[in-house]
Amino acid sequence: MATKKHLIVGAGTAGYNAIRTLRQSGSQDQIALVSAEHPYSRMVLPYFLEQGISEGHTATVSLNQLEKWDVELHLGRRAVSLDTQNNKLTLDNGDELEYDDLLIATGSSAVRLNLPGADGEGVHGFWTLADARAVSRLVSPQSHVAMVGAGFISFTILNGVIQRAGQVTIVEVAGRILPRMVDDAGAAVVSRWLEARGVTLRTGAQLKSIEDSGGKKRLSFADGAPLDADLVIMATGISTNLSWLKGSGITINQGIVVDDHLRSNVANVYAAGDIAEGKNRITGAMEVHAIEPTAAEHGRVVGANMAGREVAYPGSLMLNIVGVAGLDIASFGAWDDPDATVIVGRRDATNSYRKYLLRDNRMIGAIYVGESNETWSGNDLGMLKGLVQSGVNLDGWADHLSRNPFDIKRPYLANRVVSSLMPQTTLGQSSPSPR
Amino acid sequence: MKALQFFPEKCTGCMRCEISCSYAQSGVIQPNRSVIKVAPLEGHTSYAPYTCVQCDEGWCMTACPVDAIVISPAGAKIVMEDQCVGCKLCTIACPYGTMFMDTTSKKAIKCDLCGGAPACAEACPTEAIVWHETEQGDWLGDFAQSRAQYNFTGLVQSQTG
Ligand SMILES: Cc1cc2nc3c(=O)[nH]c(=O)nc-3n(C[C@H](O)[C@H](O)[C@H](O)COP(=O)(O)OP(=O)(O)OC[C@H]3O[C@@H](n4cnc5c(N)ncnc54)[C@H](O)[C@@H]3O)c2cc1C
Repeated sequence: MATKKHLIVGAGTAGYNAIRTLRQSGSQDQIALVSAEHPYSRMVLPYFLEQGISEGHTATVSLNQLEKWDVELHLGRRAVSLDTQNNKLTLDNGDELEYDDLLIATGSSAVRLNLPGADGEGVHGFWTLADARAVSRLVSPQSHVAMVGAGFISFTILNGVIQRAGQVTIVEVAGRILPRMVDDAGAAVVSRWLEARGVTLRTGAQLKSIEDSGGKKRLSFADGAPLDADLVIMATGISTNLSWLKGSGITINQGIVVDDHLRSNVANVYAAGDIAEGKNRITGAMEVHAIEPTAAEHGRVVGANMAGREVAYPGSLMLNIVGVAGLDIASFGAWDDPDATVIVGRRDATNSYRKYLLRDNRMIGAIYVGESNETWSGNDLGMLKGLVQSGVNLDGWADHLSRNPFDIKRPYLANRVVSSLMPQTTLGQSSPSPR
Repeated sequence: MKALQFFPEKCTGCMRCEISCSYAQSGVIQPNRSVIKVAPLEGHTSYAPYTCVQCDEGWCMTACPVDAIVISPAGAKIVMEDQCVGCKLCTIACPYGTMFMDTTSKKAIKCDLCGGAPACAEACPTEAIVWHETEQGDWLGDFAQSRAQYNFTGLVQSQTG
């Protein structure tokens, strides 16, 4: 039997997981990989900045391993167009690659604000290894760093910046920090925590321009005094890497629209990770979830399907965690559903904040803020994920939770969340060891 | 396959499992570094130990961005400490609440079944924790449910309202 040729575009989380799953499923088919960058993990770049790991440690799969897996490599090459009629991909050097099936896993890129000076010298994004190298080289105990954008990505590098810079100012156009990760009350706890640690927050600040001024970068705003900084890090949002797919006939909304097998409208073209618009496990809505666990799960499901299995994906669960200077901040699922029943718990003395969102007695989302010592001496954080993921009916326990919002463990155990989770696997079988 | 089984009705809340676990895991006697957690299930009269079920999916393992979590010969999902970057993703990917961060090393820690001879089972004086051949199970669900009529202070709530 002639073997198939699987073509993977993008060597990030989704692409790597697809390739590993194909080989771990025993597929002997041909695999080719095209990627602009070598295989590394974006989400561990903050730990490189913190100097906790070496640059080499950001790599995921080694070239050695890819060779062992007999993967035909086209690294440092970009896909520039796709012909789905003739199953042909064109690269930036003019090469054309044919395929039987294709995975598009080209992820997303950071977007700079469109204003004067935003792409000038001394202004950096933090999305690629090249960005991380540049910021790591420039930051010093003498520098005042201005972080533009107070979203999740910005916060992932905050520890590194706080550790390595002399002074840190966070600038955010919204009225508060972490606007897409936690609610107002949660953000207020985090703001207090950061300000007590010497970080300056400037929320509601509309940046107008960045200019060079006396060896510094001068940030000017619609209102208020300008800010002088040595280094500007801009984390103001991301957009999916879709432009090369124009004219390909692939259906695109916010991302490439995929079915429950992660197939696009073209049956032999899959999409996975940040570029895919797939099902939200809780609400069923079609959404782009630009997070690592979604990219890994998508990639594994595509790998299994390319290997000839029929794996349906139940949808992805939005989850994020970030720790800043000993405070852990996490949110799960539909934490911002305006129509949900809400239970709130707070203990200001220990910076603990909890919010649970319920619909029909099921937890559909949660927010967690707590100091590390509290977080890691209990089981609550992961149990919240389990409650949302399992969707068990909490029945009379919703009432218990509203009276005892810090007692998650009893409702979790008594509603037999463990029993309901144990049979769950993404690929319908036990996961093999990744190495 | 051997697994850790819990018999919550036998647990006296003595915390020996937590103490021996923290010692086995990190060389210090410090229950907040234990990866088995004993919690009161009704006021302070019933306790139960709880740890990783070594689930089939391995949510921690499949979420790890750098493949720092692998399956050991004893069948446990284990953290390779030198590979862990401390990103915490595994702690929210795990839906059982059994992935932790060691606040000293800043690395993820979890139950590794002590390489096949769990210290918690050895330390338990009442056989509330047993390491033996069994299917993995939800050992605490029925017990926690049966204690549901007790409120948080341990007093029986009035059944008649
Ligand atoms: C600083 C930072 C911190 C983060 N922290 C977290 C976190 O804590 N938790 C979390 O869940 N997520 C986090 N993320 C997000 C997470 O990294 C992404 O969701 C994940 O990498 C998405 O995987 P992917 O495979 O879809 O895309 P990527 O990992 O971005 O991979 C895309 C690949 O495609 C290649 N490519 C792009 N265009 C082309 C083209 N035209 N032709 C060929 N190749 C191309 C790229 O070079 C790259 O190799 C973070 C991201 C950053 C930048």
